[in-house]
Amino acid sequence: MQPKLYPKFAVVGHPNKGKSSIVSSLALDDSVQIANTPGTTQVKRGFPLVVDGKTIYELFDTPGFQRARRILAWLQSQEPVTADKRADLVKSFITQHRDDPRFHDEIELLEPIIEGAGIIYVVDASKPYGAEYETEMEILRYTGQPSMAILNLIGDEDYREQWKRALGHYFRLVRTFNPMTATFQDHIALLESMAQLKEEWTEDIKTAIQVLTNLHQQKIDQTIDAIVTHIQKSLTYQEIQTIATDKATKVEESRAINRYQTHLIQQEKEVEKEIETIWNHRSIDKVENLLAFDNVGLFSKESASIFGLSQKELIVTGASAGALGGLGIDALAGGSSLLLGSLIGGVVGGVGAMLGFDNLYHIKLLGQQFGRRELTIGPMQNLNFPYVLLGRALYYASLLAKRSHALRNTLHLEHETFYTQQIIDSEMRKELEKLHTKLRKGEEVSEEMSEAYRQVIMKSFQALICS
Amino acid sequence: MKPSLNTYLDTVQLLKSYQGTHEANRTFALQHPELASKPQQMLLTWVSKYRFEITEPLNSKSYTQHFQAITQLSAFLFFVLGFLTGFGLLSYSGEAPVNVIYYLFIAMLLPIIGMILSIVSLLGDKNIGNFFAHFFPLYWLEKILQTLSPKYRTTLRTHVALPYTLQRWLFVERLQMLSLLFSVGLLIALLVMVVVKDIAFGWSTTLDVAPASFQSLLSTVGWIWHAWLPSAVPSIELVELSQYFRLGERLDSTMIANANRLGAWWQFLAMTTLLYAIGLRLLFWCVTRLGLQKALDRAFLHIDGIERLQRHFQTPFVTTQAPQVETHLPLTQTNEEPTVPTEKRAYPHIFGWNWTTEEMLLIHDSRQIQGKQTHEAGGSHTFSEDEAIARLAQGLVLLYVKAWEPPTMDFVDFLELLIDNPKVERIQLYPLGTPAQAYRSDPNDVEVWRRKLQGFNPAKVEIIDAT
Repeated sequence: MQPKLYPKFAVVGHPNKGKSSIVSSLALDDSVQIANTPGTTQVKRGFPLVVDGKTIYELFDTPGFQRARRILAWLQSQEPVTADKRADLVKSFITQHRDDPRFHDEIELLEPIIEGAGIIYVVDASKPYGAEYETEMEILRYTGQPSMAILNLIGDEDYREQWKRALGHYFRLVRTFNPMTATFQDHIALLESMAQLKEEWTEDIKTAIQVLTNLHQQKIDQTIDAIVTHIQKSLTYQEIQTIATDKATKVEESRAINRYQTHLIQQEKEVEKEIETIWNHRSIDKVENLLAFDNVGLFSKESASIFGLSQKELIVTGASAGALGGLGIDALAGGSSLLLGSLIGGVVGGVGAMLGFDNLYHIKLLGQQFGRRELTIGPMQNLNFPYVLLGRALYYASLLAKRSHALRNTLHLEHETFYTQQIIDSEMRKELEKLHTKLRKGEEVSEEMSEAYRQVIMKSFQALICS
Repeated sequence: MKPSLNTYLDTVQLLKSYQGTHEANRTFALQHPELASKPQQMLLTWVSKYRFEITEPLNSKSYTQHFQAITQLSAFLFFVLGFLTGFGLLSYSGEAPVNVIYYLFIAMLLPIIGMILSIVSLLGDKNIGNFFAHFFPLYWLEKILQTLSPKYRTTLRTHVALPYTLQRWLFVERLQMLSLLFSVGLLIALLVMVVVKDIAFGWSTTLDVAPASFQSLLSTVGWIWHAWLPSAVPSIELVELSQYFRLGERLDSTMIANANRLGAWWQFLAMTTLLYAIGLRLLFWCVTRLGLQKALDRAFLHIDGIERLQRHFQTPFVTTQAPQVETHLPLTQTNEEPTVPTEKRAYPHIFGWNWTTEEMLLIHDSRQIQGKQTHEAGGSHTFSEDEAIARLAQGLVLLYVKAWEPPTMDFVDFLELLIDNPKVERIQLYPLGTPAQAYRSDPNDVEVWRRKLQGFNPAKVEIIDAT
C-alpha cells in the first residue's frame, strides 16, 4: 500500500524577508540560523511535525530567489504549453540545470514545490512593493501549486494595502504574520489558513492543530509541575553540617550558609533550564540578577544527638521506658502502689537520660563516638521568600512561553522584581500560604493540598501568558 | 512482577543519572502495548532495560549487603535470646516449681503488646511512629550498628533516603520476623527442657486469685485448641494442685505426690507459644509483608522522576524541528570598503536597479542630483535589456539600489556587466531608503550591501553612504 502523503509547505520568497524567522516560529525551533546577511539559508531544510514517528506535515525553509528573471526567461522561451503542463516546464528546468551553480538556490526552493509542496510566499510588508517581485510570483504560478502569501512586518512602516493589491493577483490567501511577535493563537490561525489551501490537506492540518494545542497544554502542565517542585524543594531544603564544638564557629556558620544559598541558586538555575527545555528555547541568551538573600534571616540551629536522637527525644524515650517498667511493678502490686512505680520509673528514666546525655555523647566504641553535633541551616522561615522564588519562576516561564522562537535578542530580566511583585496578589498569597506553612514546619503535604496549590499557580501562569 | 527494595533503590539511582528522552521513552511504551494498562509493570520493564545506565556502584548492593548482615546478625541474636529466655524461664532448681505466669507473660502477653505497639507505630503519624519505635530492641540494635559502621551510615544518609512510610514498614516487617525467631527459640527451649528435664510447673501470684478464676482465664486462652486437644488445657484439679505460695512449703507433699501430673502444663505452654507467639506473629508478619509491598508499590510510584517517565510513556512524542543540522554560513570579516560620504551632483549616466524612471526623478529632486541619462535596470526588464543598457554606460556611473532589498545574484550579474564595460571608469553604488524615509537608508541595510561588494574591484566600485 502506498504510504499516505502528508502536506508539505515550502516557505519561499526574496532573500532576507524573514522566511527562516517564520519557519523558526512555526517549527518552535530556535536553532534556525537567522541573520541580516542575505543568503544565510543556502539549502532547503525540512521541519516536519512528527507525532510518534508519523509525519503530519512538513515545512521547508528555502534559500531566496537569486536569478528569478533568468528562470522566467527560460520558462517563457520554451514551447508554449497548456496550464496543466506548466509544472512540467519547471521540472524540466530543474532537471536541466541541476548542476548549474548559478541556479543552485532556485533549484533548492523549487524542488519541494514540484514534489507537491504548497507555497508560502513571504514578503516584507513594511517596505514598498516593487515590480521585481512579479518575476518570482510568475515562476511560482508556473508550478501550479496551491499558494498563499504572508505579509511579514519587519520594519516600522506599513505597506500592507499596497502589497495586498498586488499579491491578490497571484495568491488565494494573503495573511499577516509577524514571527517576532506571534503568539500561539497566531500560529494556530496561520495553520487554519494553510488548511484552506487544498481540500486534501484540511484533515491533516486539523490534526496538526489538535496536536499542537495538546502540546501547548502539556508544556504549561510541565512548567507548573517544575515550578511547584522547585518551590517545595527550596522551602524544605536543609543544609546540615557536622561541627566540632557545642556552638558553631563563625567560619562554620558562614560556610554552611554559603552552601545553603548556593544550593538554592543552583536549584533555581536548574528549574530555569528545565523550563527552557520544555519551551524549546535551548540557546537563549539572558541577563538576570541572581537570587538575592538580602535581609532574609536564615534559620540556623546547633544540635547534638546520640544514635540520631536529640537530647529531648532521648529524655522522652528514657522517661517512657522508665514509666513502662514502673507500670510492670504497679501491675505486680495489683494497683496497690497507686501507679507510683510508673511515676518513679518515668522520672528516673527521664532524669537519667538528661544527666547521662553528655556522658553517653563522649563514649566511644570501636573508635566511633556515640554522639554527633550538627549545624542545620533551613528550612527557609522567611515568609516572603517563597513568593520571591515563585514570582521569579512564573515571570521567567511566562516570558519563555510567550517568546517567539524567531527571536534571537538577549532576554533582560534585571527588572523582574517590578513584575514579580505584581504577579502574586494578596488573594493568591492567602491560598498559597497554607502549603508554605506546612513546608516550613516540615509537615507532610497531602496530595489534595498539593493539587490545590498547583491550580492556583496554573491560574496565575495562564493569566500571565495570555496577557 | 512487583518492585523489591533492590528495584526501588536501583530505580532511584538510575533516575538520578538517566531518565531517557521523551522520544526514547515513548518509543519504549509503544513497543510494549500490552503494558499500557499496567503502569507499574511498564516502569519495572523500563528499569530492567536501562539498569545498565548506572555506571557507579549500585547503592542497592551496598545497602542490602549491610541490611542483610544486620538482619542475619539480629536473627541469630533474637533466636538465641529466645532460646536462652526459654531456658532461663524453665530452669528448675528443684526447690520451687517453674511459675507458668512468668512464661505466659513472655510467650503470650509480651508478643501481643509488641504487636499492638507495632500497629500503633504504623497507624500514628511520624512523631508517634518514631516514639514507639524506641521501645523495640531492634531500633537500638540498628542505631548502634549504624554508629559503629560509618560506611553504612554514609550510604544511608547520602544515597538511600528512603521515604518515612517505607522505612517504618521495613522496620516493622523485620521486627515481626525477628520476634518470630525469638518465639521459635522459646518454643524449642521449652520442648528441649521438657524432654531433657523433669520440670515441675506451678503457679503463684501475690494477687488474690482463686484457682477457679485462674483456670477460667486459662480456658479462655486455650479455647481455640480445647476442642481437639483437651489435654492441652489445664483442668481445675491441675490448677488447684499446682498453686503454691512463697511462704508455705514450696513443694508440699501433695505436689510431690502428684509430681507426674504437674508436668502436664507443658502442653498448654507449648500450645500457647505456638498459637500466640508463633502463629499470631506469623500471621502478623505476613500482613506486614503485604503492607511493606504496598508501601514499596506506593513509594516506587513517587520516586523523583517516575512521574516524568510516566508522562513520557503516555504522551505522544511530538517534534517540529529539522532532523538535519543546519550548515551555517561562515560569516566573513567585514573589510573596509571604499565609501564615498556624499554623492557628486552631476553624473553622465544614472542607473536605477529596480527603480522606475518616475521614482528616479523623485530621487534626483530629493537629493539634488543631475543625470544626463537615466536608465532602468532589473525590475520588470529582461536580462537582455539590462545587457543592452549596461553597454551604454561610460565614465562615472551612479547606480541607485533599494537599500532594504538585499543584493541578489541577479544584481551581481548586472554589476559585473558594468564593471566589465571598459568605458565605465567608476561605479558609485547608492543604497537608498524608502521615499517615506526621504531616501535615507538604514545603516544595517548599507552594511549588507557593503559586505556583498567585498571581492569586487575596489578601484572601480564604491558605495555612497546615505544613512
